[in-house]
Amino acid sequence: MRTQLESCLAAVNQVLLGKDRQVRLALACLLARGHLLLEDLPGMGKTTLSHALARVLGLSYQRIQFTSDLLPGDILGTSVFNRDNGQFIFHPGPIFAELVLADEINRATPKSQSALLEAMEERQVTIEGATRPLPEPFFVIATQNPVSQGGTFALPESQLDRFLMRISLGYPARAAEKALLLGEARRDLLPRLEPVLDHAALARIQAEVPGIHASEAVIDYVLRLVEATRSQPAFALGLSPRGSLALLAAARAWAMLAGRDYVIPEDVQAVLPAVAGHRLRDAADPAGHGGGALVQWLLREVTPF
Amino acid sequence: MKKTPLPIPRISLLWLLVAQVLVILPHLFHLPVWIGGLWLVCATWRIQVFRQRTNYPGGLTKAFMLIAAAAGVYASRGSLMGLDAGVALLVSTFLLKLVELKTRRDALVLVFLGFFTVLTSYLFDDGLPAALYSLLPVTALLAALIGLQQSGLSDKPWPTLRLAGSLLLQAVPLMLVLFVLFPRLGPLWSVPMPGTGGSRGLAESMTPGDIAELSQSSALAFRASFAGPIPPRRDLYWRALTFEQFDGRRWSQLDEMTRSRPDWRPEGPSLSYSIVMQASGQPWLFALDTATTDLEHTRQMGDFRLQRRRPVDQSLLYSVTSWPQARREVQGSPRLDVALQLPDHGNPRARQWAAELKARHGGDPQGLVDDLLGHFAREEYYYTLKPPLAGEDTVDHFLFDTRRGFCAHYAGAMTFVLRAAGIPARVVAGYQGGEVNPAGNYVQVNQFDAHAWVEYWLPGHGWISADPTFQVAPTRIEQGLQQALPAEDTFLADAPLSPLRYRHVEWLNQLRLSWDNLNYTWQRKVLGYQGAEQLKLLESWFGNVDPARIGMILLACLGLLFGGLALVLLKPWKRPHDPLLRQYRRFERLLARQGVRRGAGEGPLAFAERAALALPGQAAEIRAFAQRFAHQRYADAAADPAALRRLLGRLRRQLPWRPWWRTGNASAGVRGG
Repeated sequence: MRTQLESCLAAVNQVLLGKDRQVRLALACLLARGHLLLEDLPGMGKTTLSHALARVLGLSYQRIQFTSDLLPGDILGTSVFNRDNGQFIFHPGPIFAELVLADEINRATPKSQSALLEAMEERQVTIEGATRPLPEPFFVIATQNPVSQGGTFALPESQLDRFLMRISLGYPARAAEKALLLGEARRDLLPRLEPVLDHAALARIQAEVPGIHASEAVIDYVLRLVEATRSQPAFALGLSPRGSLALLAAARAWAMLAGRDYVIPEDVQAVLPAVAGHRLRDAADPAGHGGGALVQWLLREVTPF
Repeated sequence: MKKTPLPIPRISLLWLLVAQVLVILPHLFHLPVWIGGLWLVCATWRIQVFRQRTNYPGGLTKAFMLIAAAAGVYASRGSLMGLDAGVALLVSTFLLKLVELKTRRDALVLVFLGFFTVLTSYLFDDGLPAALYSLLPVTALLAALIGLQQSGLSDKPWPTLRLAGSLLLQAVPLMLVLFVLFPRLGPLWSVPMPGTGGSRGLAESMTPGDIAELSQSSALAFRASFAGPIPPRRDLYWRALTFEQFDGRRWSQLDEMTRSRPDWRPEGPSLSYSIVMQASGQPWLFALDTATTDLEHTRQMGDFRLQRRRPVDQSLLYSVTSWPQARREVQGSPRLDVALQLPDHGNPRARQWAAELKARHGGDPQGLVDDLLGHFAREEYYYTLKPPLAGEDTVDHFLFDTRRGFCAHYAGAMTFVLRAAGIPARVVAGYQGGEVNPAGNYVQVNQFDAHAWVEYWLPGHGWISADPTFQVAPTRIEQGLQQALPAEDTFLADAPLSPLRYRHVEWLNQLRLSWDNLNYTWQRKVLGYQGAEQLKLLESWFGNVDPARIGMILLACLGLLFGGLALVLLKPWKRPHDPLLRQYRRFERLLARQGVRRGAGEGPLAFAERAALALPGQAAEIRAFAQRFAHQRYADAAADPAALRRLLGRLRRQLPWRPWWRTGNASAGVRGG
């Protein structure tokens, strides 16, 4: 199993160069059955990452480009009248894929955003009275452009909370970018990626994640972290119980990726920036994005023992 | 390797400025005035530097300022040596340091200099208010020190102050132990005490005007507490010294005649009391007749006074036993010749009167003395602080012309007449009476209680005291100077604000007496706690006292104190119960000794990786321990501290030995349970 996961990572890393840690986080997020928010500038490889993950894990892949005139029906699908048999036939929208890339999610209106986010949470959609389950596994990678905010609808805290992790890819290292420039176009490499896992294997692995042992000592550490976010005056709001659950789930997935069947504090620390960063607000700047500094404070000051 | 100098945090600078004001404030009373100006210049300069309006002074400017300050001290004190000038120089350098306050090191120098300067202020005033006040500058200096050390507090003034205050409070038990137990060492070198200038009590010689002048001073001379009831006021004749030589104008003492021991025997009931005298700058002590003391370097002189080898430069506590009814030198002594000395000529009328008296009483010297005292009572003599100016023959002028005088006039005149009549006599100078403080049951004697009386010698009786002033103004003896001078507004005419002038205001008087009692207790119990007093207390507590034993007790107390402090600070009952965690703490301490400390938030494996990088020789052992620990603690595995201990032992053997005191506080930060 470990070798399978390792080869998954290796395959994605072939396409997305020098982003080993982010790829690992994205995979951990997927294994923990969470959704991923990618926040980065255009052209950093967001689409490549999601596409490559879909290929390697053998998932069906759909991309939805969010625009301001996108309607919920464009995401979920509509019923169309069939003149031949005189009935409405449901045409499923792009959300009925196993891996959905919601590109530039903040460009759409809150109405369309919430259509996606509801589907993410419930793992099913209700259209015209009929409830239709989404495929299993179901994994959403949403992207946001943090820079050009004109005409966008920023996701509120309640919606951000539904993403297990938020990561940003960042500029590649010099060596990685050189390899990128020297090598083939990345998009050409994608179709050649072979699936490493099938659905059954992926489901088995996902089912194993909650079984990773989290000792009382680690849970105490998670509690200390959460308590710090709730009691320290620098934090505008603390982590919710959903946040602490997410933290533990992500840490379990990370431990599994490291080939361990138990969680150590370093696992918690590894996923903490991605899991807690978008859920924390600096008391001095409640509207801004002070989460990163706060997470660094947590990592530095809260002792694992 | 050259380190970059650390800057001074803002808050520390603030506290330094505050502390500096507090430190030099008590010194301002005795320092030259320009020191205040110097402080203003330096503080303004430093603040402007801080506001980046100006620059630090250059080397030349600094040298100039230093030389100017030294010159100023020399100009105002006439020297650069000695206590007064030394302290002035110290304070001015303490101020000048401000303008070259650049790095943390400078600030530390300034703080320590400040502590020293606080100490020097005790040389000038060791009273209770001064001691309490000195807590203020010490707290401010501590706050500045904390501001320098604690980066977390470096911009918060009040937490810094609070921490300084609690540090000071924590030091109190230590201070008490050291105060009670630590032996008082004699000074390693003689510190010249600051002269307070002006009159400080009785002098070695006396003209009648001297005591009248002393009566203008409300300064404290001494306080006495009696073991038993306080004797009546009219019996309180505190002897200081005697005057045996008269040159027609001035009475003075004969030094060489007082060296031998007098002949006397204790008789009748005795009085035990202790005296705390203020610094007088003179070697003699005060006591009732006839006194002995066990104070070291002190003895009874030939004229029955107590004298110490060194002058009394600081307030002094001594205990005395007096035998008021003792008979003194009944057998006579070689000093009797001196007690008959008179100038060769002058005062003819007094001599003639003495001859008349002698003729009248023939072989009855006691009758002569009684007649003489009766003369002062019968005739019109007045007691006044403002006697008319004396003429050529002072005694004649006073006895027969002006008939107005102060105690010294009466005592001088009577002694003159007695001597002229062939009776050995001398003038005794000292204090009479004093104010009983009911709050503390002691007698307080001020300079205005200064008095002079007469002592004459009769064969078969020895020396007998007589007070002609009592004949003229009995109220002076029985009630005090203020009551004896109701008509004259001369009592403390130079001190309109002295609380002693307002004794008739009841509550003010009560307040004054209570305050005085507090000061007296301070002097007796705190300042007087040294030498014999300390020994007495320690003996009553611990029995036989020798240096080794005191050292042991001191060490034991300090051990207890620090042990208690360690318990409170380290809280061993809160140490981890988890045996795994205990092994891990040992692992941490072991690595801390090698200079590798775990950050507060560092996980076990991450720390081990870092330690392995720092100590590549032991990387394998470090990793092995950390992995075993992580496995036992976090995996679903059984705890096996023995295995951890074995791995730890292997690591310890691999590591070079480092003493335990090289270890730092390895686990700082948020403590987990």
